[in-house]
Amino acid sequence: MNTLTDRYLAATLRSVPAQRRDEIATELRASIEDMIEDRAGGGEDAAAAERQVLTELGNPDRLAARYADRRLQLIGPTYYLAWLRLLKLLLSFIPALAGTVVAVVKVAEGRGFGAIGPGLVVALHVAVHITFWLTLTFVLIERAQPTADLPDWSVDELPDVPAHRDISLVDTIASVVMLALTIGYLPLQHYQSWIHATDGDNIPILDPALWSFWLPALIVVLLASAVFEVVKYRIGHWSWRLYTAKALLNLAFTVPLMWLALSDALLNPALGERLSWLADADNGSLLNSLIALGVAVVLVWDLIDSGIKTRRQKA
Amino acid sequence: MVSEDVLRTHLQELRRGTVVVASLVALRRPDYGYALLQRLTDHGFPVDANTLYPLLRRLEDQGLLTSEWNTEESRPRKFYKTSDEGESMLNRLLDDLAAVQTSITGLIQGVDR
Repeated sequence: MNTLTDRYLAATLRSVPAQRRDEIATELRASIEDMIEDRAGGGEDAAAAERQVLTELGNPDRLAARYADRRLQLIGPTYYLAWLRLLKLLLSFIPALAGTVVAVVKVAEGRGFGAIGPGLVVALHVAVHITFWLTLTFVLIERAQPTADLPDWSVDELPDVPAHRDISLVDTIASVVMLALTIGYLPLQHYQSWIHATDGDNIPILDPALWSFWLPALIVVLLASAVFEVVKYRIGHWSWRLYTAKALLNLAFTVPLMWLALSDALLNPALGERLSWLADADNGSLLNSLIALGVAVVLVWDLIDSGIKTRRQKA
Repeated sequence: MVSEDVLRTHLQELRRGTVVVASLVALRRPDYGYALLQRLTDHGFPVDANTLYPLLRRLEDQGLLTSEWNTEESRPRKFYKTSDEGESMLNRLLDDLAAVQTSITGLIQGVDR
């Protein structure tokens, strides 16, 4: 016996709970035969009637799901919002955190900018894993316990209306990226300045002696500035206290830089060997003066700009 | 003009609950799946076979229907009958259906056109 009806019954019963399989089989077969008989009695060809009846009953998997009262969805409305919320929460920081840790480890191994690749790959892997396992967990919960004891939503969960921001996210990101590039450049120029000695070795632009104290100190100031930008964004608007902090950070970076330039301690003396015009003492002091002047102009401009913003937003 | 799909969805929503009411009423007189399907259709409750058969099982599981196998005829048939529990629930449902009709009528009369 391998009629269409037999095949249909087998396909349906496959996923119906075993203890009721026989009973459902007998009943469903009788119902199908009733339907076929009814149509064939109306003068229709029996085979065509069978085909038509089974088509009407539709996909056996769907019918079986109806018998078993099973859900035809991965995550239903009961759990969807909880799933979405948790997914957003986890994806918002864990992949970035893992990626950063890996990148930092690679940097410590001396990979330089090559550390970005592994960091991104790890972040992506972590994101995929989180999504998969969280979804799988919810799919299992959905099937194991159809009525959930999820906490009811309450008005206390309403988020604050987004505060009016005087400091935009784009500006903050731009500032932090600039600071990060500057921090990255300090070690980079030591290994890759694109100025080579006659024997092909790389000549750092900044005096390598500065690594004993000044360059690490400047990097600390730059890191503090990046933290400041984030804090400023969280606060959302300028205040005189923020302005003072910003001014102190700017001075802490600029004053040492100017002092080093003016006392001819900033640039690598070895540069003179390759760039002959630098070897001339007058040219050297002119370049140092220009660097100091440029730094000072940027400092003053930034202080005035921040001052205007603070005054306007306090008004 | 409303699209056919939208209309069909709303009609489906409107009809969904009434299949249970109609089945409980019809099964005050015991009957088997296909015969019930035909009776419902004849009385203006067209219902798909793949909806009705699983629904009868579910109502039986909920104790609203009782069932009995009849093996005297050409093929074995499972006869369903509305239980006492099903009857009392049916009365609640019918009351509610009437209340809905009353409310709708009142609303229609109360709204100026």
